[in-house]
Amino acid sequence: MNSSTRVIVQGITGKEGSFHAQRMKSYGTKVVAGVTPGKGGTSLAGIPVYDTVQDAVKEHEAEASVIFVPAKFAADAVYEAVDAGLKLVVVITEHIPVMDTARFVKYAESRGTMIVGPNCPGLIAPERSLLGILPPRAFTRGKIGIVSRSGTLTYEVAEMVRNLGQSTVVGIGGDPIIGTGMPKVVKLFDEDPETEKIVVIGEIGGDMEERVAKMKEEGQIKKKIVAYIAGMTAPREKRMGHAGAVVYMGIGTFNSKMEAFKRAGIPVAKSPYEIPKLLED
Amino acid sequence: MGIPVPKGVVTQGPVQWNGKAVVKSQLLEGARGKRGLVKVTEDVNGAIRDLKGQGVETFLVEEFIPHKGEVYISAMLDRRSGEPIIVASPEGGIDVEESKNVRIFQIPLERGVRSFDVTNIEKYLNVKGLEAVVKGLYRLVVEYEAELAEINPLAVTDQGVIALDSKVILEDNALFRHQEIVSKLSRQYVADSYVELDGDVGIIGNGAGLTMATMDMVKLEGGEPADFYDVGGGANRERVRECVLKVGQNSKVKKIVVNIFGGITRCDEVAAGIVDAMKVVKKPMFVRLVGTNEEEGHKILRENGIKAYADALSAVRDAIRS
Repeated sequence: MNSSTRVIVQGITGKEGSFHAQRMKSYGTKVVAGVTPGKGGTSLAGIPVYDTVQDAVKEHEAEASVIFVPAKFAADAVYEAVDAGLKLVVVITEHIPVMDTARFVKYAESRGTMIVGPNCPGLIAPERSLLGILPPRAFTRGKIGIVSRSGTLTYEVAEMVRNLGQSTVVGIGGDPIIGTGMPKVVKLFDEDPETEKIVVIGEIGGDMEERVAKMKEEGQIKKKIVAYIAGMTAPREKRMGHAGAVVYMGIGTFNSKMEAFKRAGIPVAKSPYEIPKLLED
Repeated sequence: MGIPVPKGVVTQGPVQWNGKAVVKSQLLEGARGKRGLVKVTEDVNGAIRDLKGQGVETFLVEEFIPHKGEVYISAMLDRRSGEPIIVASPEGGIDVEESKNVRIFQIPLERGVRSFDVTNIEKYLNVKGLEAVVKGLYRLVVEYEAELAEINPLAVTDQGVIALDSKVILEDNALFRHQEIVSKLSRQYVADSYVELDGDVGIIGNGAGLTMATMDMVKLEGGEPADFYDVGGGANRERVRECVLKVGQNSKVKKIVVNIFGGITRCDEVAAGIVDAMKVVKKPMFVRLVGTNEEEGHKILRENGIKAYADALSAVRDAIRS
């Protein structure tokens, strides 16, 4: 993603879609079109609206999409974006049934489309481009790459490391199955010349944090990583707000993640407020 | 699903029963066996009386099945591959999570359960006749969209296998496609993030990560969180009022920590909601409030005698010390 990426917004005439389409545009993102079935031919704050993704792509050569479509219809929106040949699809929508996600993630993968989300705030390259709902004023351009399963916690951490700034921030989403996981984003940061250090904001459930630790341990990641994991006090088999923040079969407990990071020599902040200090150590 | 189960009745009081039976407390919680809430007995009504004394209201009384072995088997979606998996262990009974003797069989969505899957699982467990069980659990995950479908234990008898206990967790987000189950269970589904815990410090935050982080900070500073409660994105005055009321009316809660980082959530709305709730909830509040309309929010709190914090750690520390 960069400031020349041509972006469409699916679900642009909804409350969230219209607000965030305009905010992305004013931030500098090239929002070239919107899609809402039945609203083709209209426009929203100067952004032309189409009935289908295919129509929008034909007219505007879009490469990426941000989806705000309600959960029941979100899977259709993703398939439509993939079939129209978009390379990057950011799914903001929350509460998509996990079986739908499992299927469209696989479909997109086999056709070369990168999915971020669902149930995510999206991504931001501060002072250049925004694909999602992250509040712009929390971010400044700089050298820290942040990858996170959480929204508000990310904004908070970004503000805390304001003096260092961020290269790119990716909210990968809080669902059990997501398109782009933490290991992939950490790898991209490691290869990104603008990123000097990486912050990983994880939480209980799943094994993405453990896999990042393993990559670091095996020397696949060269840059410094600092981590935080939420959910030390969360009980077993209870879902903590995010659909993915739940431990089944003992997989992805707080302790398992702590131990993995420790083995890999990755410092873990006790509270998010300790992250700036660990970055400077 | 075609999975065999023991004969039994659900009851809230004494029943007519001859012979040995298993009396199970009907609670939506795990580890009942470990907590003595499942009894194998000849005196069914005696067991019901005992358990009633412990506050249990509803029971499932089932025939006792003599069996020569117990195994564990469940189905769920694997988060990493996005494919359904069957989890099996020859050690049935309680706490399979602690067991090292567990194997995972991946059965991709694209092809579904095949005969060799069943054979592989039967060989591993050293039990025959698992086709109905494997296919039934798989269907619960793929067709009924269960997050977890578990049989623990699955009894092995000379007449075949029989599910002695089971647990199915349906996915909230998919319930709109399974209205027939929701109405059959006569339960109402309410989307809410509230999770009650054992401590005395009420926790309210916005965003799951930030709220969990707040709970963890309370613990690290020497307190015990009483709950997890995420008000959700863009919570308005009324929603915040309801959340504070819910947390505050828990009699275990002695004080409340609120941690808000306002993006789409407006601090003035949050502050007004807190003030509204304080008219009912007379417990000390420690409110950390930053972000959109922060100054207005702080002003509203100050005018109502509530201290507003700009940093979360100070709010948590003051709460623990108070």
